[in-house]
Amino acid sequence: MAKFITSDKVYAWLEELGQKHEVLAPRNEGDSIVFKPYDSKKGFNIEREATAPPKKACFPQSETLVEFSHIKDLENPEKVALDVKETIPTSSWVVFGSRPCDARGFTMFDRVYLNGKHVDVYYKARRENTFFITLACEKGETTCFCNWVGSGPSDPTGSDVLMVPVDGGYFLEAVSERGESILDSSLLEDGGSKQADADKFRAEADQSMGEARDLSKAPAKLLEAFDDMDFWEAQSAKCLSCGACTYLCPTCYCFNITDESDGVKGERIRSWDNCMSNTFTLEASGHNPRPTKAHRLKNRVGHKFSYYPDLHDGVISCCGCGRCIKSCPVGVDIREIVLNAIAYEAKEKADG
Amino acid sequence: MASNPYLPAMATIQEVIQETPNIMTFRVTFNDPGYKEKFTFEPGQVGQLSAFGIGESTFVINSSPTRMDYLQFSVMRTGEVTDKLHTLKAGDQIGVRAPLGNYFPYEDMKGKDIVFVGGGIGMAPLRTLLYYMLDNRKDYGKMTLLYGARTPVDMAYQYELPDWLERDDLDTHLTIDAEYEGWEHNVGLIPNVLLDIAPKPKNAVAVTCGPPIMIKFTVQALAKLGFKDDQIVTTLEKRMKCGVGICGRCNIGTSYVCQDGPVYTYEQLKALPNEM
Amino acid sequence: MKNLEDLKKQIKDGLSELDVVIGWTDSFDPLHATPHFMRSEADVDKLKVDALCVHNLATYLPSLKGKKVGIVVKGCDSRSVVELLQENLISREDVTIFGFGCSGVVDQVKIRRAVGEAGMVESCEVSGTEVKLTVAGKEHKLPMADVIADKCQTCRYPNAVLSDQFVGEEIKPTASFEDGYKDLEEFEAKSTEEKFTFWLGEMDRCIRCYACRNACPMCVCRDHCVAQSRDPHWLSQEAHVRDKWMFQVIHAYHLTGRCTECGECQRACPVDIPILLFKKKFNKEIKEVFNYEAGLDPEATPPLQTFKIDEPTIKEKEW
Repeated sequence: MAKFITSDKVYAWLEELGQKHEVLAPRNEGDSIVFKPYDSKKGFNIEREATAPPKKACFPQSETLVEFSHIKDLENPEKVALDVKETIPTSSWVVFGSRPCDARGFTMFDRVYLNGKHVDVYYKARRENTFFITLACEKGETTCFCNWVGSGPSDPTGSDVLMVPVDGGYFLEAVSERGESILDSSLLEDGGSKQADADKFRAEADQSMGEARDLSKAPAKLLEAFDDMDFWEAQSAKCLSCGACTYLCPTCYCFNITDESDGVKGERIRSWDNCMSNTFTLEASGHNPRPTKAHRLKNRVGHKFSYYPDLHDGVISCCGCGRCIKSCPVGVDIREIVLNAIAYEAKEKADG
Repeated sequence: MASNPYLPAMATIQEVIQETPNIMTFRVTFNDPGYKEKFTFEPGQVGQLSAFGIGESTFVINSSPTRMDYLQFSVMRTGEVTDKLHTLKAGDQIGVRAPLGNYFPYEDMKGKDIVFVGGGIGMAPLRTLLYYMLDNRKDYGKMTLLYGARTPVDMAYQYELPDWLERDDLDTHLTIDAEYEGWEHNVGLIPNVLLDIAPKPKNAVAVTCGPPIMIKFTVQALAKLGFKDDQIVTTLEKRMKCGVGICGRCNIGTSYVCQDGPVYTYEQLKALPNEM
Repeated sequence: MKNLEDLKKQIKDGLSELDVVIGWTDSFDPLHATPHFMRSEADVDKLKVDALCVHNLATYLPSLKGKKVGIVVKGCDSRSVVELLQENLISREDVTIFGFGCSGVVDQVKIRRAVGEAGMVESCEVSGTEVKLTVAGKEHKLPMADVIADKCQTCRYPNAVLSDQFVGEEIKPTASFEDGYKDLEEFEAKSTEEKFTFWLGEMDRCIRCYACRNACPMCVCRDHCVAQSRDPHWLSQEAHVRDKWMFQVIHAYHLTGRCTECGECQRACPVDIPILLFKKKFNKEIKEVFNYEAGLDPEATPPLQTFKIDEPTIKEKEW
C-alpha cells in the first residue's frame, strides 16, 4: 500500500494517530533532539537524526517489572504476607520520525527478547503494540555506516511504514501488515504517482553512502585478539568508560534489575545498564571478570561484532547509526576499533 | 517457570538451618499447590531468591529432584541481598524464580566412576547431584567425595556428614586447611588431599566446585592424576540479574552463564574466551 | 597553533623518559579532535593543537598513576592538574606538563546552532578569528567570537598555570572574575518556580550515562560512585527527574572548592544539559566565602578540605 501526505497535513495526521495511540516524535529539547510524547504546541524536528534514538519506546530507561507490598497480620505481627503483582504494559504506541537504523535496532532486541529460550513479556507487550513510521535518510552523516552492517539509508527492516521525502510531502509505504492499518486515514492521498520520485530518492541516498567495509572477518579476528590486552588497552586508552555510547545505541539492550522500596511497598524495576560500567559484572565477592575499561570495551565491541553474529546467523548487532561516535565525549570510533581488530596480527606472527 | 520469566513464584520457608557462621540453608515450598505439583528441575539448575525491597540473588537448588518435599538453597552472606535473606525464618514468605540454567550431564555420567571435589559453599551444587546419584545408585560406578573447608566450623551440612562417612556406596574424605582440636580427618588443601586420594581417571568424571583459586588448583591436580578436560565438570558463578540470558552481563564470549551454564566441562570452558 | 613544531620537538625530546604523552589528534571528521596517546615519534607527528582540542586531558591522569606521563595542557586543563596535585591524586615527579597559552576552544553546540547540520562536515579550517566549514557542500564562515566556548570568553587563565615546558608566547587575559558569572547571575534572578521548571525540563532528558562524571578530572570516586551504590542507597535507578537532578546536586557539592570550571561535564553531556551552571554556583560562593579559586596553587589546601576554628569570612560567633 502506498500513500502520500502533504507536508502541512503531517501535524493533523499525528493528532489523529494520537487519538488511538501514544505518539512519540523527535523534537528539540535544549540543543538536542529527543523523542518525546508528541505535543502539537511543541511540534517535531525530523530534519536530522535525533540525538537519542527512540529506544525507550520498547525499552524504557526504567520500567516496573513487579510491584510488591508487605502486609502485616494485625493478629500476629510476626507474620508478614507478601503481595506481588506483575505490571505488564498495556497501551499502543506510534514512533514517528525514527530513522531506518533506529527501527532496525529493535530487530537486534527481538532475537534476544522474543526468540530466545524465554520470552520477555514486557518487551513483547510494547514491541507488538508499537508502530514505527520511519523516515528514509537523504544522505549519510560522517559518522553513519549503516551500509557496513547490512543496511542502508532507506532500509525498512523493523519499521511498519517507510516515509520517503518527495516533492510537497512524503511518500508513505506500508512495509508491514500492521503498517497498513496506520495508513488508513482520510488525510492521506493515494501515493502511486509519487512512487518513482520515492524510488529515485532512495537510490540517490544509497549512492550517497561511502564504500562499505567488509566486516565478515570481524567475529573471528575479535576472538583472535581477545587475550592481547596491549591491543585492547591501546583501543580503549581514551575511553572514559561512561555509558553515553550504550545508552544512545539503538541495539544495546542490557539492563539492571533493582528493588526500590519504602520499606513496606515498592517496585522491582529494570533500568538501562551498560557493559562499560565497572559495577555491571562486579561480583559480591569483589571479583570482577572485566576489571578495566579495556576489558569492558572489548566486551562491548566483541558482543556487537563477534558474539552476537556467532549466535544469530552472522547478523552484526550494530545498526551503524554512528551515535556512539559523534556523541562520545572523546571521539572513540567503533569503526576504527573493528577495523583495527580485522587488521590484527598476533604479535608472534608479526614478529616472526 | 511461569510465562513471565521475571515474576517470582511465592514460597514459604519451612525450615532454616544455620550451617556455619555465614551460611544458612533455607527449605522452601511453593505456596500454590498446582505450581508445586508441576514444578520440576534438574540437578545443578539454579534459582533466584527474592528479598523484596532489596533484590534477588542466584543460588543453586541443592536438594535433589529425587526428593521433592521441599527445595533447598544454601546462602552465604556476602552482600545486601544475602544479608536480608539471613534475617528470614520459618514461616516467612520468599520469592523464587526457578529453575534457571543448565544442569549436570548426569545421563552421560551413567556407568562411570564419579569424583566429587567440593570446597566451602561449593559443596552446595555437588550436594544435589550427590543425592540424585545416591538415589539412582546402580546407574553409577564408584563414588568418591572430597569435601573441604577452612575449618570444621565452616563446613556446611555437618548433620549429614556422619551418614556420608558411614555409607559403603560412597567413599567420603573430609579436609580442613589447618590442624583443629578434635578434628579426626584430613588436614591440608583440597588439591593436595586429592592427589593423596588419587582417584583413577579411567572411565571417571570429576565434578568440582568451590572458590576460583581452589577450582584452579583442583583442575591442575586432576590433570596430574590423568583426568582429561572433558572428564572435569564444574559450575560457575557470575553476577546475574535476569537469569534468562537477556540482561547481558554474565556472558563469557557467546556463552551466557545464567542460561548456557552454570555447568561446564573444563573442555568447554577452555574453548571460551579467557574471561573468568 | 603557531609553535606546534616546537612542542612536538619538546615532546620527542622527553619521550624516552616517559611512558606516554597525552595530546590531541585528528578525529572522525574535520570538525573534531580526539585525545591522543603518544608513545613513538610517529605518534607525536600526528599531534594536533588548535581550537578543536577541547578535551581536558587531566581526566586521564589519576588512572595512569604510577606511570611517567606527559600531558599537553591549556590554561584551564593545567588548573585540573594543579588540583589533582593538591589532593595527592597524582605525583608531581610522575607528570611532565607541556603547557601553552590558549586563545580559546570552539563550542560544538554553538557550531551546530550556527550551521544547523554538523553531521556532514567535509572540511574545517580554524584560524585565530574564524572557523571556516564546508558542510554538505555549503561553505560557512563563522567568526570565532560566535563559536568560542563560554568559558573561553571569560577566561582569566589562558596560560598553563604550572608547566615543565611552556611553548610559545603567553596570552594576556582580559576578563574579570565577575565576567565569568554573569550567566549565573542572570539565572539566579529568576523566580524559584522558574528555576525549578527549567531544571525539570532540562534534567528530564538525562540518560544517566554519567559522561559528566567520567569526563570530570576531579570526579575521583570512579568505580565507587553514589550513582550506582546500594549502600548508601541514595539514588534510585528509576528514570525519574528527581534522581537525575539529585545526582547533579551531589556532583556539584562534591566539587565545591575543587572544580576548576573546565566545563568537561557539560561538554561531555550527550544531550547538552547545561550542568556547569551548578558548579559555577558553588565556585562563586567559595570565592565569596573563602576568596579561593581551585587549581591555581599546588601548595594550597582546598578550603573544604581543611578546618579553621575562626574562618575570617564566616562570623559564626556574630550570628
